[in-house]
Amino acid sequence: MAKPTTAEIILEHKVPINIITAHVDSKGGDYLVDISDEALETVVKAFRQRGATVTLPKLIEVDKEKCFDCGACVSLCPVEAITVAEDCSVNFDKEKCVGSTCSACVEACPAGAIKSVKQNNAELANNTR
Amino acid sequence: METLKLNSKKNTRTIEEINAKIKTGDAQVLTAEEMKKLVESSGVEVAFKEVDVVTTGTFGAMCSSGAIVNLGHSDPPIKIERAWINDVEACHPGAAVDLYIGATAMSETQPFEYGGGHVIEDLVRGKEVELRATSYGTDCYPRTQITTSLTKDDLNQFYLLNFRNCYQRYACAVNSRDETIYTYMGKLLPQLRNATFSGAGELNPLMNDPDYETIGIGTRIFLGGAQGYIIGEGTQHDPKNLNGTLMVRGNCKNMSPDFLQGATFAHYGTTLYIGLGIPIPILNEGLAKKTAIRDEEIFTHVVDYGVPRRDKPKLKKVSYKELKSGAITLDAKKVRVSSLSSLKMAKEIAETLKSWIASGSFYLTAPVERLPIDSVFKPMRQTEGTPFVASVMQTAITCKENEAIRDIAARIVTKSVNHIVVVDDGNRLGGIVTSWDITRAMAEGKTALTDIMTRRVVTAKSDEPLETASRRMAQHNISALPVIDAERKVLGIVTAEDVSKFLGR
Repeated sequence: MAKPTTAEIILEHKVPINIITAHVDSKGGDYLVDISDEALETVVKAFRQRGATVTLPKLIEVDKEKCFDCGACVSLCPVEAITVAEDCSVNFDKEKCVGSTCSACVEACPAGAIKSVKQNNAELANNTR
Repeated sequence: METLKLNSKKNTRTIEEINAKIKTGDAQVLTAEEMKKLVESSGVEVAFKEVDVVTTGTFGAMCSSGAIVNLGHSDPPIKIERAWINDVEACHPGAAVDLYIGATAMSETQPFEYGGGHVIEDLVRGKEVELRATSYGTDCYPRTQITTSLTKDDLNQFYLLNFRNCYQRYACAVNSRDETIYTYMGKLLPQLRNATFSGAGELNPLMNDPDYETIGIGTRIFLGGAQGYIIGEGTQHDPKNLNGTLMVRGNCKNMSPDFLQGATFAHYGTTLYIGLGIPIPILNEGLAKKTAIRDEEIFTHVVDYGVPRRDKPKLKKVSYKELKSGAITLDAKKVRVSSLSSLKMAKEIAETLKSWIASGSFYLTAPVERLPIDSVFKPMRQTEGTPFVASVMQTAITCKENEAIRDIAARIVTKSVNHIVVVDDGNRLGGIVTSWDITRAMAEGKTALTDIMTRRVVTAKSDEPLETASRRMAQHNISALPVIDAERKVLGIVTAEDVSKFLGR
């Protein structure tokens, strides 16, 4: 992309885009960006109209029906998003969790209660290329 | 006078007396957690006077479990030779239509995802399962195959029959290897980066009656959400080393999926999580004292599961208090700890059992026979020696990083090998180069060894079993492993070719 696509989108739609990582060379680039939920649809559409491939990261979802609070996942979480409460229940901090790019806990769950899931904006997720 | 004194200060109580109190709703029942607090605040004497029963609990992966089912006879009848339920093969220990569903047997179509434990859970949930069976056919049992659907209501008997449950305590597992390993102690990160443990510590039933004064054959217990019984000591029962186990039985038809759940240890296999709780009648002050045991008094070892041997290196002694704190210290570093069994469920089991007794729906039983308190757990007698890497290892042909590819190619030919190990001046491992790497270098016109050698080398240790080394070669799809010591000095090389020659002797 020779054009300053990200900057254009920010200006055109007046949305803040938080660039987390960027790898750019002569052939193109990859950006990992953080966008608020409200702006998500607009921004994804704008990037796609300009020819960019947009993928939405998956999140970790815990099925509390299946989870029996063993805590096998706790020591595997690199960001300490999983903690054991006073009453021994196992809690996930969705704010801290880095999502499916990590997934260290998913296969460690004996109950099969942890899954990588697509973000709740189903329509956008289905359009993911 | 003497009798009077005894009566006024009674220092024992009997199970019959406790049951009489349960009947009138007067029995004083505490969970193990509550009992510990009471002894701490008021002392053993008061606790003995006030408390009749202490309830315990544990909820963990208990692999040596399974269910016996009787299917009834088909028409024409079949003498089952092999049978599968939901594609999980069951054992056929009996005459014709009795099957044992082992918790760790894996589905043939979904291995490592679904197993015997899940079959048992599905049946307990009331789900329909598919039975397939085959036979050779006899004059009295002519049928040779059958397929049908079943629920627990269709089974004549459906009993959990677990030959080793309720381990008194367990090791804390870590992994010293450079790769993640998948074990029955869960996923263990490389270089001691995490630890796992199992067991309920101070809530574990056997920890609260370590001398088996009240726990014996015939003791009524909480099993999978129903009332079950202890039918003997479990296999590998090792009470002197505080590694006691139990053999138990319970009617699955009365159990609840909340306290019995099929589970999977990734890349290891399937199992069954079971909830088990035992009421400890406080018959004397000694038992009041024993049930006051705390996590800080219960120790286990941190064991290196990176060494796949029967006797694994013990790195450190830790208490259950440390383990439950979420982190232990190893080599002055904080290592995060995961519990594999559920302490929350263990507490819930102790609470449930307490409510059963308090409401008069659960009565205590005196054991009809004591469990052995001096049995030992012997290792297997092996009549054939196990091969180790050292028995197959060859001298490694080496080179230095600055050597010309042409010279290395010549060495491959003269020594007739496929692997050259790259070492530094101190004979320490720097990389590996194969005949294929050399061929490709020639084709691509590369001349520097540093451009073609592999620097991240998969290695072996001389004292590890040959099977582990050959498994590693297969996993990484490679054909040789340099053998190194703790300082990464090259001791030799083990190749796939040498392994097959050795095994084919």
